[in-house]
Amino acid sequence: MNIEKTAVGTALTVKVEGRLDTSTSPKLEEELKGGVDGIDDLVFDFEKLEYISSAGLRVLLSMQKIMNRQGKMRIKNVNETVMEIFEITGFSDILTIE
Amino acid sequence: MIYIQLGLAALCPAIVSAAFYQSNKKAGFSKLPEKTKQAVYGLVFGLLAVLSTEFGSEIDGAVISARDAAPLCAGLIFGVPAGILAGFIGGIWRFLVAIWGEGAYTGIGASLTTLLAGSIGAALRKWLFDNKRPFWYYGLAAGSVVEVVNMLMVFLINMEDVHRAFELVEKCTLPMVALNAGAVTIAMLAVSALAGELKKSKGKTRYQLAQTFSRWLLFCVVLAFFVSSLFVYALQTRLAVNDAQNMLSLYIEDVRADINDASDENLLKLTRKIRDDLNEIGDYDKSVLLPLLEENNVSEINIIDENGIIIASTTPEFVGFDMSSGEQSNEFTALLHGEEELVQRYQPISHDSGVSMKYAGAVLDNGGFVQVGYDSGRFQADIDGQVVGLTRNRHVGEDGFMLIANEELRLVSDPSGHEGASLDVTGICLTANEDNSSSGKYGSEWQTLTQTVFGESCYVMYGVTEGYYIIGALPQSEVVFSRNMQLYTTVFIEIMVFAALFVLIYFLVKKLVVENIQKVNRSLEEITGGNLNVTVDVRGNEEFISLSDDINSTVHALKGYIAEAAARIDRELEFARTIQLSTLPCVFPPYPDRTDFDIHATMDTAKEVGGDFYDFYLLDENRLAFLIADVSGKGISAAMFMMKAKTLIKSLADKESDVSKILTRANEELCENNEAEMFVTCWIGILDLNTHTVHFANAGHNPPLVRHRDGKFEYFRTHPDFVLAGMEGVKYKSGELKLMPGDEIFLYTDGVTEAENAENELYGEARLKSALDRLEGASAKDICLGVKKDVDAFVGETPQFDDMTMLCIRLTQKYSITVDPREDTAVQTVASFVEETLAQADAPVKIVMKMNIAADEIYSNIRRYSGATKAQIDCAISGNSITLIFADNGFPYDPLNKEDPDTTLSADEREIGGLGIFMVKKTMDDVTYEYSEGMNRLTLKKSWEA
Repeated sequence: MNIEKTAVGTALTVKVEGRLDTSTSPKLEEELKGGVDGIDDLVFDFEKLEYISSAGLRVLLSMQKIMNRQGKMRIKNVNETVMEIFEITGFSDILTIE
Repeated sequence: MIYIQLGLAALCPAIVSAAFYQSNKKAGFSKLPEKTKQAVYGLVFGLLAVLSTEFGSEIDGAVISARDAAPLCAGLIFGVPAGILAGFIGGIWRFLVAIWGEGAYTGIGASLTTLLAGSIGAALRKWLFDNKRPFWYYGLAAGSVVEVVNMLMVFLINMEDVHRAFELVEKCTLPMVALNAGAVTIAMLAVSALAGELKKSKGKTRYQLAQTFSRWLLFCVVLAFFVSSLFVYALQTRLAVNDAQNMLSLYIEDVRADINDASDENLLKLTRKIRDDLNEIGDYDKSVLLPLLEENNVSEINIIDENGIIIASTTPEFVGFDMSSGEQSNEFTALLHGEEELVQRYQPISHDSGVSMKYAGAVLDNGGFVQVGYDSGRFQADIDGQVVGLTRNRHVGEDGFMLIANEELRLVSDPSGHEGASLDVTGICLTANEDNSSSGKYGSEWQTLTQTVFGESCYVMYGVTEGYYIIGALPQSEVVFSRNMQLYTTVFIEIMVFAALFVLIYFLVKKLVVENIQKVNRSLEEITGGNLNVTVDVRGNEEFISLSDDINSTVHALKGYIAEAAARIDRELEFARTIQLSTLPCVFPPYPDRTDFDIHATMDTAKEVGGDFYDFYLLDENRLAFLIADVSGKGISAAMFMMKAKTLIKSLADKESDVSKILTRANEELCENNEAEMFVTCWIGILDLNTHTVHFANAGHNPPLVRHRDGKFEYFRTHPDFVLAGMEGVKYKSGELKLMPGDEIFLYTDGVTEAENAENELYGEARLKSALDRLEGASAKDICLGVKKDVDAFVGETPQFDDMTMLCIRLTQKYSITVDPREDTAVQTVASFVEETLAQADAPVKIVMKMNIAADEIYSNIRRYSGATKAQIDCAISGNSITLIFADNGFPYDPLNKEDPDTTLSADEREIGGLGIFMVKKTMDDVTYEYSEGMNRLTLKKSWEA
């Protein structure tokens, strides 16, 4: 999995490439922990994300809870498989998916 | 000589007919077209008719020959065209012969008859005998009738001279009829003999109605003909003789009247003269009477007074005789009562019956009367002159004549000038003598005698008057001639009428009864043959209409019963089929929790209940027994035998693990009391699911098809043992078949390979193999269905009569990995394993992703919570479905029991955790958990559309 972060002012775009599963989620969590201080606009670009497991969802949920306090969080370019997971788990209602 | 010639001519048609009949059996001639054959028959028989004419013998202008026989034979024996052609040729030739002068008198009649003979033969054959050769006696009858026609023709054509015509007919009839009818009969007998029809067949011969009828009709007609002919003969003879008698007696009467008149006149003349003399003299003294007697040359003169008493007589003893005392003399008393004159026949006198006299009397002026008498001598001498020659020019009929003889039987009048001679010269004898007293050839007056007069047999009759014998004679030949003419014409016409009657009655009966019966029979035959849709439709007359209707309604009712019975049998068969099918495993998939193999079986029963069956059962966790079998025959018996075999094999398989022993023992038991002589072919295998080895035994069944992983299906041919229930004591061998996961085995019954299409082609092993190859990768169920579909496409609408049974087992391709969850790298190992396995199965990317997620969730759970030291992941792929089994030796824990998270809460309220198993549940088709043998087992299943 590759993570590419692009910060423009208080806005941060995180591009996730590959799979977000049990073995890769801790890496994303580590990358973002503390990395979002002062960020009020967090954007996940999932264009290259193949699939996401519950571990990945956990990261997204905790980020959403943080961003609820300091700004907003958006998710872009969600593919079909990932979208299906979001819908099954009710995440599609919680997350802002563009 | 003539007879030999005629006899040979009569034999000719027989010889030719026999020759033709024989040659018709030979290949060369019989292969000719029928038209050519008919032409040949016609020409040859026509030629025969010509030859008969040429070699016939001429009698009084008529050619006696067997000419008509040939065309008749051609028509009756060989066919219609042949008969007509032969008749034509023979007729024309006879006509030409007549023109050239020979046999001209009968020419036209004879040629017409020959022409007719062929046509009659042809017509009889066509309309009376169904174009078949009739029996010989019809030939005899037809030949006779044709010749009678010939004779009638002679009559008809020579009407102006019936006598001559008749003389000819009388001469020709018998020889012509005998010759022609004989010739036809011999010919037909010859052919019948060659055809072997004359031999008495053993047992009772069965005749057709028309045959029996025609025989009896012929018999009756012939009998009626003979009876009526005899009657006519007797009647005509009697009539002719009566006519002759009448004629003779009339002629005799005439002559007698002439003689009487002459003698009466003579005596009266003398009596008147004597009366006048006596009146003049006025005295009746003897001296007066005697001179008168002398003078007038009479025998007697008597004077009778008013009282009827003789007062004077030339015969003195008469004086005083009372005239009224005798019958003869009493007649004269009429003269005392007003009569002037009286003359009496020559007869015995009252005074002395030994003396015959002829008297006449005349009234005297002085009262009383004078009676003058003649004795015969004087009387005849007196009238002989007048009688002589009285009959000389008289004819009776054509050649008959009259004679007069006096009391001494000397001829007085005779046409041939024998006057004065004794009657003996004529040959007539009227009184008994030494020659004829015993023969009775003489007789009394008016009796008809048959005597030879002047050398000719004649009917003779005589009358007596005034002492003369008046004799009439009529030649018998003259009487017989007229009678014969009557008789011949009557008989000829009778023959024609009876023949016509026979033909008409026979034809009508044939048309109205026999043909209708045959029509009914033909329809009935069809009905008996199974075609119940045939209706009898003979509407000729009331009886047949009602018969037809009755038969039709019977057949209709029958049809109803049969349909009902068929429906009942169908229902029974349907029940039987249902029961039969219910005994077979029919819930698929049968072992849903078994991932290591996939099994499917189908049985498509034909309309009739068959004897196919399949069976499979797990003997234990690792051994699957499966078999396919086919009981010989069909129907309920096969179905019942199948049930017996199936139950038996299953119970044996439960106890015995060696397939060869299972079959050996099953065979022993099935052989017992196998009265129905049925047998079963069977292929049975026991699959060890651990070693993937099949131990099989084959009792005469079709070879199964086996496909090894990545290969093609191949027939697995082993030498089969004998069928089950066929023979006691058969030892069955077992074989071994090594399979691998991913391999398939396909069993079937011959209903599949022997399915037949409309062109009678069999589906066959090659088609089965290629159909299976096309189904590569399909599940066991899809393989069975796919093969069935292919067979259906092959046979089309053609109904199949055998069950089609298939059984397919697919060993699931299995992948497995064991990891230690405590190691960090294990996560990656599991993910790669799942991904690679799925890629190998050509699963769609989306499915791969979902399986990856699921594997990730489950494995991370195990790793994190179970405390397991060992986890095994099995991946089984079968067709378009995948099964993942996670087994770990951690604490028993059923993740499916965990409550599903509330997915409607907001982000802040949401708990993290529990989502993983929830996702798995949502994305998989089936998730099951079990704990056994110290292991948690979670099974995930997912399938996709190909």
